[in-house]
Amino acid sequence: MEVAATVVILTCTYALLAAGVVILYKAARVVNFAHGELAIVGGYVFYSASLGGESLWLAVVGAICFSVIMGVMIYMSMLRRLLGEPLHVAILVTIGIGIVLKSAILVIWRAERLTIDIGVAPAIRFAGGASLSYMDVASIAVTVLFFVALYFFLTFTRIGVQFRGTAENALLASQRGVNVNFVLSLAWVMAVFAASLSGTFFGSRAFLSTESVTIGLAGLVAALVGGLDSLRGAIMGALIVAGAQYLTVRLVDPVLSETVPFLLLLVVMSVRPWGLFGTLEELDRV
Amino acid sequence: MQKPYSLRTSYLESNEVFRRPYQKVLLALLLGFALLLPALASTYFVHLLDLCLLSSIGALGLMLLTGYCGQISLGHAAFLAVGAYSTVILNAHLGAAFVIVLPAAAVFGGLLGLIVGLPSLRFRGVYLAISTLAMHYAIIFLATKYQAEFGASATAGMTIPDPSFGLFVLSGDRPWYYFLLAVVSLTTIGCINLVRTRPGRAWMAIRDRDIAAQALGVNLARYKLLAFVTSSMLTSVSGSLLAYFTNVVTVEKYTLDLAIVYLAMIIVGGMGSILGALLGAFFITLLPFAIDALFGYLPRTWRFGSTLFGVQAGAVGICIIVFLLFEPKGLAEIWNRLQTYFERWPFRYRPLDTVRR
Repeated sequence: MEVAATVVILTCTYALLAAGVVILYKAARVVNFAHGELAIVGGYVFYSASLGGESLWLAVVGAICFSVIMGVMIYMSMLRRLLGEPLHVAILVTIGIGIVLKSAILVIWRAERLTIDIGVAPAIRFAGGASLSYMDVASIAVTVLFFVALYFFLTFTRIGVQFRGTAENALLASQRGVNVNFVLSLAWVMAVFAASLSGTFFGSRAFLSTESVTIGLAGLVAALVGGLDSLRGAIMGALIVAGAQYLTVRLVDPVLSETVPFLLLLVVMSVRPWGLFGTLEELDRV
Repeated sequence: MQKPYSLRTSYLESNEVFRRPYQKVLLALLLGFALLLPALASTYFVHLLDLCLLSSIGALGLMLLTGYCGQISLGHAAFLAVGAYSTVILNAHLGAAFVIVLPAAAVFGGLLGLIVGLPSLRFRGVYLAISTLAMHYAIIFLATKYQAEFGASATAGMTIPDPSFGLFVLSGDRPWYYFLLAVVSLTTIGCINLVRTRPGRAWMAIRDRDIAAQALGVNLARYKLLAFVTSSMLTSVSGSLLAYFTNVVTVEKYTLDLAIVYLAMIIVGGMGSILGALLGAFFITLLPFAIDALFGYLPRTWRFGSTLFGVQAGAVGICIIVFLLFEPKGLAEIWNRLQTYFERWPFRYRPLDTVRR
């Protein structure tokens, strides 16, 4: 039971990260290498805005402000200029953003290693000693809510349709009157918001520090395993990565925890490189 | 009026090493200055130059792969680790001499480069970058295991004695400086000739459009793998020299951040330019020390350890972003523009691609 609980929570963390990666890839054709940094900085902002665990509402408002400001700023000031450039330039820029964010942790939060302690009291106890805290229950609920909301947003709302149109063909969409800059900014805001939720959940269960930015790579791998252009795949990929990681750390060797997602990825890439739910046409291959 | 040197009118001209007549004089002056420098500068400064020269070799290796062949690699730190760990293994278990270790490190690096390069036959762009990242973690895992097994403790790392040629032992910053200067000069000449001849032209064709390159008869598989092997050999040699220079090898040094620092060197220097690799290596290596020196002028209350580290690391990130957005061809292009400016003075010359649209 405890195994299942841990894996499910880890899956939620990775699924939110992978969802952000997929949103950005689908909408803007950018693979974001700064996702882990955004998540952890989001977690730090959540912690600081909560005034050290005093106010949950302030923290949520802080996280939303952070995602709107970061998302719009990253898109409008940097990636908008790279729209016509080759794909790898955008990747390198996101790597640069990642370094800057990571150093912001050092400068602003003095590389403090901290745990978000809002709602960590056990809420549900299972037979056998396992328990879920309020934050764990919240993280599962929020993840489910996020994916359901995303589904309805993309399928039924006007902006959601514009969003899918932009993802399919940005030039055509802009000629039909879609405000592409708005849609892509929104994609960035959504991705950063998902990332900071994920960073918050990660920070409440483990800890936030400059080393924990590697969860971004696990999220990236989850997105790739599921297929870079598939939201459904993000959940499946996250489940596979989280399960594999947990089992290896428990049964084989804790040193492997950072390596496992990538070993998994090598296997997936040699058998089914477009991912479990991805489309073959998306693959940039020779 | 003489035509600008930046314009080429024949294929032979694109093969010239010295485009401008005064460049030979400049190079001779620079070499003379470089030879005299250790007599003038402090030991600390010579030490910094040693570090710059060491990273130049690795940056040249990455430049061949990413700047010329267009294959993004995030596994550069792993190749440095391969060089360092083959040095440790040959030294500690076999007691091999410096002259044997260095070529052996190159061979190990080359073999591993062949393996890491294999995914490039199927993927490009993002997928390739991520597969090199996967290789990075696999190699670093093995290195961690080795260190835990044979190191003094899991975190202490391994020590390596100073290299020796017979009776002469290479130690101290000044002897190292002359040795590294020779190595970097030879590597640079090798790289320049490599990119002027068949392999380099094939790499640039692959970088610009792989399908068109193949249509022109370039053997994609062969030249991509050649780029990976050459690059990883150079990097592995650089890693081995770095291990000898610092006398200690720990796995903590070979992080993903180190690979990104090398990427920053070639971005800042200018993609697709040998001069750029050298300029970028010097710029990025000296940057943290320059920031450290600047911090000395700040009031004492501002100087926190983590703030300094943060600013040093962040500056690299800012350099990557600023150069990619505003000066994509890097320092090499700035140098080029500067030369054109003085040649054309008092007239102005603007290449077509920099005219604002």
